[in-house]
Amino acid sequence: MTEHAGYFEVPGAHLYAVLHEVEQPTARVLLVGPFASERHNTYIPWVRWARFLAERNIEVLRYDYRGIGESTGDLQEMTFEDWSQDVKLLSDWLAARRPKAPLILHGLAMGAVLAGRAFDEGIGDGLLMWSPPFSANLALRSTLMRWVGLEQIFKFGADRRSTSDYICALEQGSTLEVDGYQWPTKLWQESFGFALPESLLTEQSTPDAGERPVKITRLGKEAAPLAKGGSVGYDDLKDFTWLFKPHFEWIAEAAMKSNQREQNAPEY
Amino acid sequence: MLQNTDTRELAILDIFGHRLRGTYHRSSDDRSGSWMSGTGADRPAVLFLNSLALPRAATGDSAVYWADSFARLGYPTFRFDLPGLGDSDGQTSTDVLDFINRGGFAPAAVGISRELVERGGYSGVVLVGHCAGAVTASYAAAAFKKCKGMILLDPYFHLPVAKRPESREKLSGWARRSALGRPLSNLVDRVKHLKLFLRGSALPGNANTRLLSKWNDLSNAGLPTLLFKAPGIKATGSKPRVGEFDYLEYVRKLAGRKGDLVMKSIEGSDHSFANRIGREAVRQEAEGWLASHFPLTGHEAHTKAISLPGAGSKRNGASRPRVAPPNPDCALEGR
Repeated sequence: MTEHAGYFEVPGAHLYAVLHEVEQPTARVLLVGPFASERHNTYIPWVRWARFLAERNIEVLRYDYRGIGESTGDLQEMTFEDWSQDVKLLSDWLAARRPKAPLILHGLAMGAVLAGRAFDEGIGDGLLMWSPPFSANLALRSTLMRWVGLEQIFKFGADRRSTSDYICALEQGSTLEVDGYQWPTKLWQESFGFALPESLLTEQSTPDAGERPVKITRLGKEAAPLAKGGSVGYDDLKDFTWLFKPHFEWIAEAAMKSNQREQNAPEY
Repeated sequence: MLQNTDTRELAILDIFGHRLRGTYHRSSDDRSGSWMSGTGADRPAVLFLNSLALPRAATGDSAVYWADSFARLGYPTFRFDLPGLGDSDGQTSTDVLDFINRGGFAPAAVGISRELVERGGYSGVVLVGHCAGAVTASYAAAAFKKCKGMILLDPYFHLPVAKRPESREKLSGWARRSALGRPLSNLVDRVKHLKLFLRGSALPGNANTRLLSKWNDLSNAGLPTLLFKAPGIKATGSKPRVGEFDYLEYVRKLAGRKGDLVMKSIEGSDHSFANRIGREAVRQEAEGWLASHFPLTGHEAHTKAISLPGAGSKRNGASRPRVAPPNPDCALEGR
């Protein structure tokens, strides 16, 4: 099991990715992480999740969105379409690796919307979503609320601004600075229309759930910092085996079913 | 997958059995294929260290921004994840704050620095650390002779409590929301101030004496140090909140005449310095400081330190500070 970091060239930027390589994988997983500042807060458990899977014979590719983290590009110029293209590029690359193995998409928060939309277009043999919002706007709103909540901790009386104050400024055309990231109005506006397909809002609503399994898990406070709550810098170092183990088992089972379907498929 | 872009190269170092991963920001005149080509003997490398448990990009990718800037100026710049953080291997102590405050990451930081000097051929390293990263940088600088300087952002010199009791949090929350909150909070600050006054110049009980002892050594050695301070909660400029011990004044005195300590208070920044004002001010001041302390021969470095309005421009001085929003993401803010 080895880890290779590298860049993928995309129009106007380089995507930073880390492959947790496995020789004979039972499945491959593309991890689509959360957005902007949430990336930083969740980084340690997200990497540990990738390693947890790789130690159990599942090859993993994780990456940074265009314009964020180690990837290059200007965040203010990016669109949800760009980020969707990144998911497609990386899932194609991962699916083309040999030996062949089922491909599972796994998204967290904003990443769940991106992974879900790619899955809806036929990419991947299974989909795992942790805390998927209905739309990208809800993911942004959640990040914003968290940031505002923390901002307020250190402010008194009239100095305290509410989330709606910030949203108002954003909607009036001001760029909003959230945790050091510049959110342009365009990002906010586009986020309303960038939603999870209705068929993926629940596990049961997926039309071909039997063929291409879907699992949705809403993470509670105990999963911080993968979910809201907790203390930055402390919760990321805790043991997540209780969360990782059952989801690894689900991925292994989804991969096994995919292999069985492949074997039973008629040859033409 | 590619290992390089036009301006960056991924780097790997094996330190104490851990594979550490980082990013090299190619200096603008580096035409070699690798940072290990040994072409940087005339200049120090700049090395960014993690702040607490954040990955090497730091809040708002501010470290990426500064590293790109320093590299454009001609300084080979590296950002490495310490063991157990970011993309690097290893397990981090669950009490990472205590580990850092005891200098736990210093051996790894020294190991990286030594590798950069030996394999990259650089004349030394300039360590950059924010908050807890500044603590690691200070310990590492004291342990590595080829450390040529430090750029520190909001360092702290006490032993903070990782998590405050819930009852204390609730009380603070009430004080912030209530109309009575501010005056009551001010009253508590005044009582603390009185206690502090009665103590004289003695260090508080929770001072990180081990760290301060390293600072004493570094000051005596005259290590060039650029220190940035963001206005804290209910505080102005580089001064602490009423009732809190003034550690910056203490280290300024430690530096005395021998020391080469420059302090800058960045008005309008927050604790992370990741907001637009903070990152610009840090970039400009640090570029000027690098150019004056480590001039590059045969390279057109920007030598002008352009001070932003409000950014401290006097040596050891701060100008027109005002209260700015802190970055509460950092557990050490609000100490």
